Amino acid sequence: MAPDEDFGFLRPPSNEEYEPAYRTPSSYNPLDTFRLPMGGVRHYQQQYGDMYFLRLAKLKPAVEQIAAAAWDGFNIAGENARRVDRVLDVRQGELCWVAGTIYMDMPLKPNILDDLTKENFTSAPPPRRAYVDPSNPSATQIMMEDESGRLCLTGAFLSSVHLATGAIIAALGTENSNGEFEVIDIKLPDLPPQPKRWERDETDKNQNGKDAVSKEGGKIAFVSGLGITGASSDTLALELLTDYLLGYTGFSGNDENSPSMNASKITRLIIAGNSLGASVTTDAASAGSDAAAKKKLAPKKYGYDASAYNASPITKLDNFLAEILPSIPVTLMPGEKDPANVSLPQQGIHRAMLPQSRAYCAPPPSGEDKQEPGWFDSVTNPWEGDVEGWRVWGCSGQNVDDVLRYLEFPGEDSSLDTEREESEARLQIMDAMLRWRCGVPTAPDTIWSYPFQDDDPFVLESCPHIFFAGNQPSFKTAMVETDIPLRFDEGNTEMTNGPGTTAARVRLISIPKFKETGELVLVDTETLEAEVIRFGTFAGQEEKK
Amino acid sequence: MDSKMYLAEQVLNEQRTITYRALGRALKVHANRAKQLLFEFHSKENAKKPQSVHATYVISGIQKPPEPPATNGHAKDDEDEVMQSSPYLPSSMPNQDAPSDSLRIASIILAREEDLEDAKATFQSISTIHVYSVQPTALQDLNVLTDVCREVATAYAQDDPLEGGKDWGMIQNRNVKRRTGARPPPPPTASAPKTKTESTVPAKRPFEKSAPAGKTENKPEETKSQSSSAANSQTSSKPAAKPAPKREKSNLFSSFAKAKPKQKTSTPAESATPSGAEDVVLDDASEEEAEELFPNSADTAAAAATRESKKEREEKLKAMMEDDDADDEEMPDADEEPVREPTPIEQPPPSKPAELKEEVTVQGGRRRGKRQVMKKRTVKDEEGYLVTREEATWESFSEDEPAPKKKPAVNVAKGKGAKPGQGNIMSFFGKK
Repeated sequence: MAPDEDFGFLRPPSNEEYEPAYRTPSSYNPLDTFRLPMGGVRHYQQQYGDMYFLRLAKLKPAVEQIAAAAWDGFNIAGENARRVDRVLDVRQGELCWVAGTIYMDMPLKPNILDDLTKENFTSAPPPRRAYVDPSNPSATQIMMEDESGRLCLTGAFLSSVHLATGAIIAALGTENSNGEFEVIDIKLPDLPPQPKRWERDETDKNQNGKDAVSKEGGKIAFVSGLGITGASSDTLALELLTDYLLGYTGFSGNDENSPSMNASKITRLIIAGNSLGASVTTDAASAGSDAAAKKKLAPKKYGYDASAYNASPITKLDNFLAEILPSIPVTLMPGEKDPANVSLPQQGIHRAMLPQSRAYCAPPPSGEDKQEPGWFDSVTNPWEGDVEGWRVWGCSGQNVDDVLRYLEFPGEDSSLDTEREESEARLQIMDAMLRWRCGVPTAPDTIWSYPFQDDDPFVLESCPHIFFAGNQPSFKTAMVETDIPLRFDEGNTEMTNGPGTTAARVRLISIPKFKETGELVLVDTETLEAEVIRFGTFAGQEEKK
Repeated sequence: MDSKMYLAEQVLNEQRTITYRALGRALKVHANRAKQLLFEFHSKENAKKPQSVHATYVISGIQKPPEPPATNGHAKDDEDEVMQSSPYLPSSMPNQDAPSDSLRIASIILAREEDLEDAKATFQSISTIHVYSVQPTALQDLNVLTDVCREVATAYAQDDPLEGGKDWGMIQNRNVKRRTGARPPPPPTASAPKTKTESTVPAKRPFEKSAPAGKTENKPEETKSQSSSAANSQTSSKPAAKPAPKREKSNLFSSFAKAKPKQKTSTPAESATPSGAEDVVLDDASEEEAEELFPNSADTAAAAATRESKKEREEKLKAMMEDDDADDEEMPDADEEPVREPTPIEQPPPSKPAELKEEVTVQGGRRRGKRQVMKKRTVKDEEGYLVTREEATWESFSEDEPAPKKKPAVNVAKGKGAKPGQGNIMSFFGKK
């Protein structure tokens, strides 16, 4: 090999001294939005209805404000649009607008009555591909409800918008002779007010941390769907990822593209769910049917069964974490396949399962006082927090997956086109969630959820800067901004900054499954630009033979 | 040279695969130097005798996009369609195609020596190439390398990454926080039986092992002295500088070529011994973690109190297990009973008080009117768990109230009570 092509390493060793590299420090301030009360205070007997009312109570003022701004004085054929307080107060033939919660009745939605017939099952049913029945689109009914009752929505306009159960909207229209509400236009709550960067930290003690960090741009790394199964074949990309994160491999510093790719700039790794590959849920579900057959053969054993339990996936994950933790702080979110509770918000993977990594955890909670977040933070899913001053809101992907099931999608054939379309749609769903101000709109309808009583934490109170969803089929990113024309009259440009808020900008990221794509997403802490690093092996001729 | 000796022993004699990280760990050299050492070794050996050593390479850089024009055209079409079908998307939704086209996807690709040129051809620009591993034969399956990585991880599990990281070329972090709290030693009673059940847990990299022994303070020093001594002795004789008996094994075996033949036999043994210790730790850890759920008991210093409560809990657990066992055996019965039992009784309820009386004799007190019976009741508690309780309930068996009689019998998912009940039914049939 020519000496000028040695890339620094394809040459005999020199006596060069290697400077130790130091990682850019991380500023981290998680929020406990989704932490459930511990132990005996956590009850599951409440009614889910409260969640919808809380959500409506929170979001109705916001959407009504927007709707009022848009529709005040709206006039069709001499009739002014009138605001109606409750959906049941809508009168036939009157042009009016009303706000409420969307409920979608779909033929293939999981039905509680179906579940009751097999009341005794112990694990989650396998997820359905879609709730829409493509052969019978008219079976889908869209309704709007509030505390007074329900109103059937209809009209050609609805077919041009995507809605999901749980979204709060305002609809303009009139009730027709069938008693259905003919929709002309809808309004969404739109992006919530966005905090400034460092807003929470400025009040905190973190003043010096902020200065240190903001000078040098760092990166936040996102990865999801590590899919560790314990088989040897899936870990080679993981080894390369480990090597990269620890700085053993990487990009040399003399290239124009490399400085930003330097692993020492990565301040934090966020693992967005599904770190383990074996699908516990579906296995258990299928085992459930088998178990009925087995039951007669052998007396059933409860609890830990050494022969059925395979610890190697979680051990591998623990090894991986323990290896990178000395160098990089990690935020670990559970996903649908991880050992955590099924219903959202999933609580963090218990550190007892990660005996090596737990040394980096925060000390066990003692008393009421708020403690420092751990170097290794096993957090909830969804999760919200401040990383490098930016508000980050993310979920392991269940929210997007479930809303997608409400949309008509030719998902059966997996050609390249539909795949592209689907990942496009996923980004649009994420955008829609922000505009609905609800991160998990379909909980508790079609996503299992904790029955919240006093608060609906899925409502986005403040607009995040980074909004991510894990375990998506491919990497996608987009920047979303406050929709100024929607909110304000065109002529009134001074109003664009709004009362006390600046235009919100949100970076949407759909994080691919690492196991399938080998991709790690890096987000710049200054520009919020996203980049991808792909890890893999080159399948050459040897392998093809 | 020490490194050449080592590589020659490992690769040529032992037929092993050596990655740059394995070399770096074994010789305590920086990862970048290890890469160069591997390259030197690879080129020199192949100069002596072609094809004697094979290598794998890691290429990092920007890959060429796969068939760009076709997909782009498609993509644009798709985009249009999507936008049309979903006009709710506000205009501010950026057209993602523009950024995604310019989006840099950097790649880190592992390739065989044989494929190196092909792999390089897929790159638009290459940032670095380095040797990942050397091995005596061409690898058919690159996944073999993960086993090598795992071996390295196991062999050097003792090294504290916080201490040695600098030498290996790991990116250092000044803010790393690690708990050093010593955990209370496991109560002997608990550890003995549990080790057995947990021995199936594969023990990996038990670097935590020394923590419970309270050695965390000593450890850094040890590591330091060792790494320095190892560095000093790198060029000269190694075996002399091995202070810590605990680590002796791994250091000796990995760096000392002559010990080589023994390594294979001793590796399982070595990993077996730590695994025993690890299990204890694991076990202890899980117990302690369970305690941490209750904030008050998290104080690890109050070891004695903890131990006491542990014993108590253990007893409770044992009691629970026994309960469970009883239930386990009876579960099939319980399933069938409700079906079988009520029907015969239900058919002749008013006319057959005599049979019901017999049940009383089996159960205990023989009184007409009321009696107290211990019943096992399974109820859902507030948290949704099924709880089986033994309760003393007053039961009346007067002739005019047959219905409440049956109900308890049906509800009871217990063995001792139900069995005689079954006997009753048989006798009932017999009498008929």
